[in-house]
Amino acid sequence: MADPIDYADVQGTVLRGYRVDLARHFVLSVTDVAGVGSFISHLIDGSGGLPRITRAAHWTEKPEYFVNIGLTCAGVAKLGLTAAELATFDLAFQRGATSDSSASLVGDVGTSAPANWIGGLADGLAVHIVLNLWVRGDPAILEKVTAQLRTAFKGCLTELSAHDAQALTDNFVHFGYHDNIAQPTVDGAPPRKHAIPDDQPIVPAGEFLLGYENAYGVKPSVTPVQLSTNSSYAAFRILEQDVAGFEQFLTTFAPKAGIDPEMLAAKVCGRWRNGNPLELMPDAPGTTLPMDQLNNFTYVNTDPSKDDTLGLRCAIGSHIRRSNPRNQAVVGTDSTHHRIVRRAMPYGPAYDPTHPDSTPRGLIGYFICGSLSNQFEFLQGQWNLTSAFVKSATGPGGSGDGNAVFNITGEDVFLGVNDPSYSSFTLAVLGPKGQNNKQITGFPRFITTRGGAYCFLPSITGLRYLATRASS
Amino acid sequence: MANPLTLLLPVIPGTGLQTIIDTLTKINPQVEAALNSVGTVHYARFLLLDLSTPNLQPGAGSGPYVLGVVTEYDGDFNAYIQDFAAKLGTIFNELLALAVGGNAVIPVADHINEFIAYIQKNDASQHLPNTGLYQAYTYTVQQILANGSD
Repeated sequence: MADPIDYADVQGTVLRGYRVDLARHFVLSVTDVAGVGSFISHLIDGSGGLPRITRAAHWTEKPEYFVNIGLTCAGVAKLGLTAAELATFDLAFQRGATSDSSASLVGDVGTSAPANWIGGLADGLAVHIVLNLWVRGDPAILEKVTAQLRTAFKGCLTELSAHDAQALTDNFVHFGYHDNIAQPTVDGAPPRKHAIPDDQPIVPAGEFLLGYENAYGVKPSVTPVQLSTNSSYAAFRILEQDVAGFEQFLTTFAPKAGIDPEMLAAKVCGRWRNGNPLELMPDAPGTTLPMDQLNNFTYVNTDPSKDDTLGLRCAIGSHIRRSNPRNQAVVGTDSTHHRIVRRAMPYGPAYDPTHPDSTPRGLIGYFICGSLSNQFEFLQGQWNLTSAFVKSATGPGGSGDGNAVFNITGEDVFLGVNDPSYSSFTLAVLGPKGQNNKQITGFPRFITTRGGAYCFLPSITGLRYLATRASS
Repeated sequence: MANPLTLLLPVIPGTGLQTIIDTLTKINPQVEAALNSVGTVHYARFLLLDLSTPNLQPGAGSGPYVLGVVTEYDGDFNAYIQDFAAKLGTIFNELLALAVGGNAVIPVADHINEFIAYIQKNDASQHLPNTGLYQAYTYTVQQILANGSD
């Protein structure tokens, strides 16, 4: 039996989706170390006129707002951690999101390169803290709490930028898809308010929280020990979506593939825009399935009528199948070892196809994990940016029907670099060695990284320790 | 496009030839299943050198020895390091227990940062002039298996 999680010691966003309409993320740089120690102390206790850091503990009445805090490697170093201590942290965290190696690994190149990032995020060494405020829906509360925070941190932190997010109707994102359906089921975590069951293994808590056994059978830790148990990591990302470009892609390339634009939209995602998965609704979107069915499917099945090893229904290169191959065979280990929790929200106005504009819009938020190297960077670098991770596998019809290896090309249509000189997406068709497959090629990138920071989300114990160390 | 790994482990001086052979004999049955499971390794073999003999061949000398792990593999070794630790961890633990400095790295699953640093330090293929690799083909292991799955 896994160790029970002390929810009161875990920052809320790690284990809970807040289901809010508004958010504001402050990108901050430390100017007065002792002052930051005092600021964090007040946040922990909700004293000094400051909101209290939100814990993962149960609440009887849902709060009007939620506050969490992440620190970069430069940030925790600024608060006093030594190089020897930082060497015990995740390697990607140590490097930081703006490092050449991380940027290259996750596809932050060209227009997405850190040098082009907004809001001071381009200078990774100057970004120390990402402070997060989520509000259920009242803009006045967003401004009120913002004012409280700014008043408190103005003497010790420079606000490099603030980035707002606003939910679209019914959990849709700018590309027009129903989002926020699939999340890992974490062993010992509080259940989701609205259960969305799936047919996947429960993920050990150590995949998201230091100090607990992870999928590899070890308990990740850092030094000093006060920062270990109940802490987590997150990639903070600002991802700008080219909605007009994506819609143009659908109308241009669907006829080339001989399918309807909405079918192409479903194929590149793995779900219809109403959220229904292709595995369960392969021919038409239909009406949105009940929550208990929406995510309850696998790709490989001993029942030939349900098996989709070859990606004939849900393309092997689709976004949801790359991001979580479920029970499909992949090189290395399996999907349970590389899950992430997504806590992102849309920003920018909803796209109106009758009045196309170039106003920035996209997704902003955290991708949470117990190891940035082995989860966020692995998922993005190995599954979204390559097609070589799929193991040789045939379906019920044997090799004459094809092999999974031949039925994926290129990169993720959403999160890939997708230079038109090599971009490629495969629609699988029965036949040996993929010889009947259809490929669409030459499409551009639709999501540009506008900012990022690798953060450590300390436990409450860890925050107290950092606050004390900064103040001393 | 495959990548080379030429991991050279200096065996702790005083370690006898039979001890090394016993270790390799013990882990050999696990190696094939583990590598099949990982799915990215084209070829793998052990190489034992005896520094006390003029031609480095083991058998007639008395050590010290260098134990090599020589492979060609697909993809990014560091990106898959934890998966390797999961599938090959017990094998690496046995090998590293014989090696100078190896005890600080085992169990590898619990010392990922140190394991990566150890590999970088002791992989001859990451040091000039050993970085080259000739390849007659560019297929991945899985492409080869898929092509042969008739």
